[in-house]
Amino acid sequence: MLELHGVSKRFGETLAVDKVSFTCQRGELVGIIGRSGAGKSTLLRMINRLTDPTDGRITWDGQDVGHLKGRPLRQWRRRCAMIFQQFNLCPRLDVITNVLVGVVAERPLASSLVKFFPAADRARAILELDALDMAHAALQRAGTLSGGQQQRVAIARAMLQEPDLVLADEPVASLDPVNADVVMDALQKICRERNVPVIVNLHSLEIARRYCTRIVAMSKGAIVFDGPPVALTQAVLDRVYAGRTTPDNATTFSIVEAA
Amino acid sequence: MSELSPAVVAFETLRRRTLRRQRMQSLAGLLIFSALLLLSFQRSQFFSSDIGGDPLGRIGDFLNRMVPDLKGDALFADRRTDGSLAWWFYDLPRWLRLGWQTVEMAVVATVLGAIGALLASFLCARNLMPIPAVRFTVRRTLEAIRTLPDLILALMLVAAFGVGPLAGVITLAISTMGSLGKLFSEVNEEVDPRQLEAMRASGAGYAAMIRYGVVPQVLPNYTSYALIRLEGNLAGAAALGIVGAGGIGIELQRAITYTEFDTYLAILLLIVGMIFLIDIASEAIRHRLIGLGEAR
Amino acid sequence: MTPEIYARALKVAPEALRPGLSRRLTNWGLVALCGLAFVAMCVDLELAPESFLLGLGKLARFIAISMPPSDGGDLPRIVSALAETFAMALAGTVIAALVALPLGILGAKTVVRQPVLHFAFRRSLDWFRGVPALVWALILVSAFGLGPFGGVIALALADIPSLAKLFSEAIENADEKPIDGVRAAGTPPLLALRYGLAPQVIPVMASQVLFFLESNFRNAAVLGIVGAGGIGFELEERIRIFAFDQVAFIVGLYMICVAGLDTVSQWLRQRLA
Ligand SMILES: Nc1ncnc2c1ncn2[C@@H]1O[C@H](COP(=O)(O)OP(=O)(O)O)[C@@H](O)[C@H]1O
Ligand SMILES: [Mg+2]
Repeated sequence: MLELHGVSKRFGETLAVDKVSFTCQRGELVGIIGRSGAGKSTLLRMINRLTDPTDGRITWDGQDVGHLKGRPLRQWRRRCAMIFQQFNLCPRLDVITNVLVGVVAERPLASSLVKFFPAADRARAILELDALDMAHAALQRAGTLSGGQQQRVAIARAMLQEPDLVLADEPVASLDPVNADVVMDALQKICRERNVPVIVNLHSLEIARRYCTRIVAMSKGAIVFDGPPVALTQAVLDRVYAGRTTPDNATTFSIVEAA
Repeated sequence: MSELSPAVVAFETLRRRTLRRQRMQSLAGLLIFSALLLLSFQRSQFFSSDIGGDPLGRIGDFLNRMVPDLKGDALFADRRTDGSLAWWFYDLPRWLRLGWQTVEMAVVATVLGAIGALLASFLCARNLMPIPAVRFTVRRTLEAIRTLPDLILALMLVAAFGVGPLAGVITLAISTMGSLGKLFSEVNEEVDPRQLEAMRASGAGYAAMIRYGVVPQVLPNYTSYALIRLEGNLAGAAALGIVGAGGIGIELQRAITYTEFDTYLAILLLIVGMIFLIDIASEAIRHRLIGLGEAR
Repeated sequence: MTPEIYARALKVAPEALRPGLSRRLTNWGLVALCGLAFVAMCVDLELAPESFLLGLGKLARFIAISMPPSDGGDLPRIVSALAETFAMALAGTVIAALVALPLGILGAKTVVRQPVLHFAFRRSLDWFRGVPALVWALILVSAFGLGPFGGVIALALADIPSLAKLFSEAIENADEKPIDGVRAAGTPPLLALRYGLAPQVIPVMASQVLFFLESNFRNAAVLGIVGAGGIGFELEERIRIFAFDQVAFIVGLYMICVAGLDTVSQWLRQRLA
């Protein structure tokens, strides 16, 4: 179980995340919504510890993960897999190597430096790819795939990490609607079958309503709503998007953010 | 004609003033440049130097001495016959051996220099080296190396390491490190940070990040730069022999000492051919790399 | 568990599971071959570790000698040799640019529209690209006598082929539309080039010439080694008698001058861009 207690992040003057507290159980698919700049990415990055929180406590099953360093930190990152809007694969490496990057944190340095992976790892990588219908492209270069395919490869990499928790930062923002559904279906399946919590930043309300078991809305760094999708009323949305139900600048900003 | 409005008058005066200033600046620039140029020609004794009463005649004479007296009927005779090709290239086996030595020097020095550049480039790339002091020192060192001409360095290294290819290889390796180090670090700084971040997010350590996040991105560019440098090093290695640092240059020096101008031309042609061949080979490799290169 | 996973993966994507043995062998074989070739070359060049260490020891001694750098009481001569070096660089570059300009125009595909002629011309320039200035200087000095004259010609000869090539490319890369525009206004061809082409290519060419000037400021120092004037001669003389304190002084001064001239030239290039 993931627990956040009064977690804050300050970048100089801006308070990106403001005393956020929430818990997340196994099997939950939590969608985080909010305007661009509301602090959604920063929140996820703090959970994975790509960004250090300024204040507050982050725990997993009661153990503090907010102050880890060195090897324990890397192990925590391995356990909480992250998926990005721009997929962030290495385009020049083939698909299977991209997936196998998910295990380099666990394997001896020397062998992974010469790109040697045990047959068992390769087999698992192929099965993860197959589960997402991508095994046929295993030897293709990642850069030659379409966006939806690349995101599925990124999910396969995340799965190879055998994560306890999956974080996805706008995973479908750069995809067309069909591919967006494919990717969201995959995340939902992971959440149900492997019984891990999945936290997804979304800018599409419609997708959030359709897939999430719970929705958290953020505004100016703070949580302004936390509950089931049905409870998300127009009044709440007005507060979140400040009068606009469709955050028109979300898409244009998201590319800059991901960089 | 009506009175010009004050706004127009103000604009016109301003315009005239800026125009005049621009013209003055160009004029000053031109004057400075011409003065410098004149001074340069004067200092380098270009017009005043004592090249004899008949400069054109001397150039003709010089060209005449460079071109061998080949005789059509004896062209393919053995090397004891005056006017045959073999007589012109009378020491060909030795020249070829030295030419090959030159190639070897260039290759070995490029490899060693590229390895040094690789290490240095990671130490001075803004995104990979967090400590500013290290970055600064490495950068300045590379800059200093680039300022020093190869042959001056070679002169000093020959004094230390003795006559022979060792001094030449070290010279070229150092200067290769200077130039490639800068280029490599620029390549490093253009690495896509998102790939690195994704690897960091999955718990990978520094070494794994370099191996899977940086190396596949930079390797094609590295290779391409190293190959260009190899071409340059070959030319450099050919000249190094003149100061005794190994390679074919020593034969050039010898030909001049014995005033065998036609021999000089023969060796020069060999060098030019050698450079040309390596150029073509390296260009072919580079094009393949850019085109369908496979990442490792 | 593992064998079962393995069997399933084998069914899904056999070739991805085990990268072809032949491919792996060729990869490793290539690596091994390159390594072997490298070692063979080192052996052939007689690059022995002992002589390397010995040389390092000597080098350390040289550096110790050089420690307070000194001008050897002959500062005016050093300064004048330095000035001569930079003068040679400027003169050589200007001559190279003047000669390379007509060659570059002739070598441009868009000017000489005869492919065979163009190819032959470019290739003949290519042949002499890469011959170092020192190689030219060696023979020019022996033809025209000691002094900077040979050095200037050597620098120019070394630069002409590359500059001509760059000039040709600059002309070829120029946009044709402005030329057509000027020509469409009824301007005679030569003037069309003056107003359509020149504004496009002159800044590019000037910046290339400045770039060569910078590199010649560096290279001109070596010409003195073969007696073609400038600081190289002073350096060689002092290295020969192991006067490394003076060598350090000269080299230091030289590097400072080059850095200063570079800054000026870079500033000029930026203004052109
Ligand atoms: N690395 C950073 N440095 C400075 N400010 C940042 C940084 N990352 C995010 N911010 C700021 O924090 C706020 C929240 O950003 P973010 O978490 O990316 O919002 P969201 O993902 O909801 O669009 C924004 O105002 C943004 O400008
Ligand atoms: Mg964001």
